[in-house]
Amino acid sequence: MSVRHSLLALLSEGPKYGFQLRQEFEASTGDVWPLNVGQVYTTLDRLERDGLAESDDIDADERQRNFRITQNGVEELARWLRMPPDLTQPPRDELVIKILVASRLPDVDVYDVIQVHRRYLVQLMQQWTRLKEDEVRFDLAFALAVDAELFRLDAVVRWLDAADGRLRRSRQESTTDITEEVTRIRRRTGAHR
Amino acid sequence: MTHHTDSVGQRPLDGGMPARRAVTRWAWRLLRREWRQQSLVLALITLAVAVTTVGVGVSTNTPLSPYVGFGNAQDMATFSNSSASTMATIASWHKRYGAVDVIDNETVTVPGSVDTFSLRAQNPYGPYGQPLLALVSGHLPTKTGEVAMTSGVASDFNLRVGSDWTVKGVTRKVVGIVENPKNLLDQFALVLPGQVTTPTSVTVLFDAPVGTPSKSLGPNVITPMSVAQGNLLNPETISIALVTMAMLLIALVAIAGFTVLAQRRLRSIGMLGALGATDEHIKLVVRANGVFVGLVGAVVGFVVGFAAWLAYRPHLEVSAHHVIGVFQLPWIVIVVAVALAVAAAYFAATRPARAMIRISTVSALAGHPAPPKKLHRSAVPGVVLVVVAFVLVGVAGARGGNGGGMAALVIGFVTLTVAVVLLSPFLLTVLDRFSRRAPLAIRMAMRDLARYRARSGAALGAISVGVLIAVVVIIATAARFGNALDYAGPNLSSTQLIIYTPNGPYGPGGPGNSSKGGGVPTTSLAPMAQSARAIAAALGSHVVIKLETTSATLQHAASGRSFSGPLYVATPQLLRAFGIGKSAVGPTTEILSMRPGFAGLSKMQIVYGNYYSGQGSGPGRSESWPCPTSDCLANPSMQEISSLPAGTSAPNTVITEYAVKRLGLTPITSGWLVKTSKPLSAGQLTGARSTAAAAGLSIESKSSIPTSATIIDWATFVGILLALGVLAMTIGLIRSETADDLRILVASGASSGTRRSLTAATAGALAFVGAVVGTAAAYVAMIGFSRTNALDGISSLASVPVANLLLILVVMPLVAAMVGWLAAWREPKGLSGRLIQ
Amino acid sequence: MSMLELRNVSKVYGEGATEVDALRNIDLEVDRGSLVAIMGPSGSGKSTLLTIAGSLELPTTGDVMIDGSNVVGMSRNDKARLRRRTIGYVFQDFNLLAGLTAVENVSLPLELDGVPMKKARAQGMSALDELGLSHRAERFPDELSGGERQRVAIARAVVGERSLLLADEPSGALDSVNGEAVMRMILSACHRGVAALVVTHDAKLASWADRVVFLRDGKAVDETLSPPGPEELLDHDATNPPAS
Repeated sequence: MSVRHSLLALLSEGPKYGFQLRQEFEASTGDVWPLNVGQVYTTLDRLERDGLAESDDIDADERQRNFRITQNGVEELARWLRMPPDLTQPPRDELVIKILVASRLPDVDVYDVIQVHRRYLVQLMQQWTRLKEDEVRFDLAFALAVDAELFRLDAVVRWLDAADGRLRRSRQESTTDITEEVTRIRRRTGAHR
Repeated sequence: MTHHTDSVGQRPLDGGMPARRAVTRWAWRLLRREWRQQSLVLALITLAVAVTTVGVGVSTNTPLSPYVGFGNAQDMATFSNSSASTMATIASWHKRYGAVDVIDNETVTVPGSVDTFSLRAQNPYGPYGQPLLALVSGHLPTKTGEVAMTSGVASDFNLRVGSDWTVKGVTRKVVGIVENPKNLLDQFALVLPGQVTTPTSVTVLFDAPVGTPSKSLGPNVITPMSVAQGNLLNPETISIALVTMAMLLIALVAIAGFTVLAQRRLRSIGMLGALGATDEHIKLVVRANGVFVGLVGAVVGFVVGFAAWLAYRPHLEVSAHHVIGVFQLPWIVIVVAVALAVAAAYFAATRPARAMIRISTVSALAGHPAPPKKLHRSAVPGVVLVVVAFVLVGVAGARGGNGGGMAALVIGFVTLTVAVVLLSPFLLTVLDRFSRRAPLAIRMAMRDLARYRARSGAALGAISVGVLIAVVVIIATAARFGNALDYAGPNLSSTQLIIYTPNGPYGPGGPGNSSKGGGVPTTSLAPMAQSARAIAAALGSHVVIKLETTSATLQHAASGRSFSGPLYVATPQLLRAFGIGKSAVGPTTEILSMRPGFAGLSKMQIVYGNYYSGQGSGPGRSESWPCPTSDCLANPSMQEISSLPAGTSAPNTVITEYAVKRLGLTPITSGWLVKTSKPLSAGQLTGARSTAAAAGLSIESKSSIPTSATIIDWATFVGILLALGVLAMTIGLIRSETADDLRILVASGASSGTRRSLTAATAGALAFVGAVVGTAAAYVAMIGFSRTNALDGISSLASVPVANLLLILVVMPLVAAMVGWLAAWREPKGLSGRLIQ
Repeated sequence: MSMLELRNVSKVYGEGATEVDALRNIDLEVDRGSLVAIMGPSGSGKSTLLTIAGSLELPTTGDVMIDGSNVVGMSRNDKARLRRRTIGYVFQDFNLLAGLTAVENVSLPLELDGVPMKKARAQGMSALDELGLSHRAERFPDELSGGERQRVAIARAVVGERSLLLADEPSGALDSVNGEAVMRMILSACHRGVAALVVTHDAKLASWADRVVFLRDGKAVDETLSPPGPEELLDHDATNPPAS
């Protein structure tokens, strides 16, 4: 989990208080991912429970507890930084499902559906890009975060473009002579025997 | 509107001068960056201008100028004495025309020698005569007792500055050494005016007003104008004609070159259009490039030529016997050559310039070459022009290349050139049609050549014209040198020398011998023979062959060329000297000759004795065949013997002693042929010449006339080199234009062999077609000329220089293909070049 | 008044059987100070649209108004003058003339328009200076990096009083950082009053525009609505954290 490890990373710089951790987290992600206070302390409690961080006084008020990283915590951080994220399982993407459904429904213009999503995505990207224009706020961390978002959205737009092209080609092919299709299938199945 | 309409409104609509300057600057930068691609055109222009500068300098300065004696004057009169009437005439001119310069000459013989010199009375500061006098050392005579002389006279009398010298009974002090810079052979001793009492010639220099008819001045007066008359074919005119022809050819090569270049710059030119350059600007880029190439070539050529001239000038002064100024060049011819170079390059760039603006900016930006232009496929205009050229050259042939014939000849050749250029694209189409069944690489190469006819046609035209010129030279040389009658070639070999008696090679009364009567008396011949043997001995030779001539000569009783050369007697000594045994000569043979094809000539006759005076007609009269038996023998028995010497002055054709006896001829001693073991040096020849002159003899040695083989081989070599140069320049382009096809070809699995074959086939085909077209056109011209020419009939073309034509027709295309094969190992530039800027 | 206006523009290439509709009934307006992007897959007619908008090609039907005057019916020389004075082009990979230095490239359109060399050069220098390239002014194109070349091209496209900037995949051959710099420059030109039209297939590039027009098979099928301000993105609801 990235919040957990981000806090560990902040602690690796030195002992810190809870409110301080929240501020630094938000600053380091360019205010792109806001964090509520409860989330910070829940995560800190878990870190303490797992022996990755420790505090001076368990009974004191959470706001005044000073956290620091343990040796286990340092090792866990090092392991996590190098561990590839789990990309093998495809996320159950809502957009993908919508397009798949649209392509099966005869009364729906799938290209129109694609375009609506594309327009929405590009508008979203325009918003993100506008952030870059304001150079006063344009520090490195912020830029990296905004780029990440833009690249993610761009990938979705590209997928829509690819889907557009693929659907179009398959429609063209489905209108070709059926006998041709049959012979091709026969040949393929024949090769298996 | 944010426009400042004021400033915009003031600007010219087409960008005016700043725009033209910017575009021109870019063209110049591009030339500096990419001059290598234009190096052939640059080299050709440089060479042409350099050769013109040196050639014209040498050819106009070599002969003594006919205006030599004039000094600064416009008129020159010569009198043979200083009689009272002469003095009166001079006085009247002095009165009418102002200053006159009087130069008195008295010819004086050097004691004990045949050499003479002039005792000259001349005002050293005279207004007109000054250029005829230059001080080498010492000073000019200022008093009556002083004399200055040329170094030749000084050495004849063994004098120095300061010596006393007595001549014609007057003793004078030698005060200086002088020369006549206009004629270094002029040997004289200079004294003050009035010192020559009995002049043998009096020269008067003066200026009559412009327009005064020279006849009104009297018979003694000549003007430079009258000297120049009848001398229209001077070196200047010939040079300009040659330069014009050369520039025409260069322009053809340049068209192909500039088309290539414009193609290479296609995207840049598209960009220029996108930036708002007008059509005029785009044309200006290409044309400015042309002008720059012309200018750079011309300037470099002139500098190189001038440097060569500076280096050669001292040698030329020695051989031309007069002082030649550093800047004494025919500047008009050089300026014309430079102007022609620039004009040729400019006009060559005009066509690609027009082609460029036909391409849309969008496809130019994309780097797509123009869609192949629909060129006239028809061969009709080309063929019509060939016929016109044939007729024109025929007209020239009928007039023997003189007067109006010269113009017809030049126009005919230009027409033929244009015809070749027009026919080239058509031939490429034919080539494409023929190669439909050929292997892939060849088929593709031919198709591309045919598709891009606009540039491959120009390249083919240039190759063809180069070959055309070379082959015309080859055929003409072969025809001329192959003529058995009017035999041409070098006069002697370098190991031969002929010492002539005053009888000369043709005997008394013959050409070049005005002496009448029986010739040199026998009593004088013995000492002459003595001298001849002495000369031979001095040269280390003991082979002295006596040459005898008779009143007989050979005649061809038909139209065309007549027999040329001496007809010596085949004495036993002469035959022996050339290793011809008695048995080798038929007992009744009358004429022996080494000239190939001589024995087969018909309508030959030996004429002798009083034939000419009896007939009262010139040689070559055909109506009197067969000739009357008096003093004429028709159809002599002739035999070819190849071991006779080949020189035109050597006994290459001889009359046998049998014929001499039969016709009752009297042999006269013409001279002696000396054979040496080693080539004669210039020093030896000078020595021989002075000894011979002292004995009243003259000598002839090898002149610089080249042999036919030399001319033909050079023509072949230059023709091939030119064709290959044009190929090298255009092939790369044609292939890089089709680089996209090639990339696809390679991507679809074509081996490097295919790429090589493609380039090889392109080069080979262009070279072959160019060679065939050029050769064919040359034969068209030569047949057209010979057909009507009275001197060289069509039969003169019978001697075909097979080996050289094969070199051009077979070896050159093979070399082109081979080089194409070898050079194609690297990717054409267009492939990678297009990706970079 | 809009700087560029296409009215019912269609373009047909070829004839008869090989006829291809590159553009169909396009209506488009680009105002001064705005950046419009045309997005579409390859073969959708993007580049044709740009060449027609830049007077390099004529539409088969329809009108092209540039700064109030119709390009259709103009003489070749008038169109060339329009390109010199009003239009600036930026292409994907080939922009600068070899043999001319950066500053000479920039001042070339001015010189073509008759501005004396020294004055044109001064204007070119200040254009380069604005883009932070004055230290590279005397370099030849082959001595510049790809990003620098593209920036010089933009300087040339906006030098003088040019007010319409047309760009065809202006950052296509560049990495994303250089590409961003190029787009930033185009945008800043727009802020100074230039109207810009950028065609691209890249959504990251198109997202710099005020308005994105989607092209498909030669037709304008859609365009973005005026997007809400970016503040909305950061006004997160604490209960809806971004996926981690």
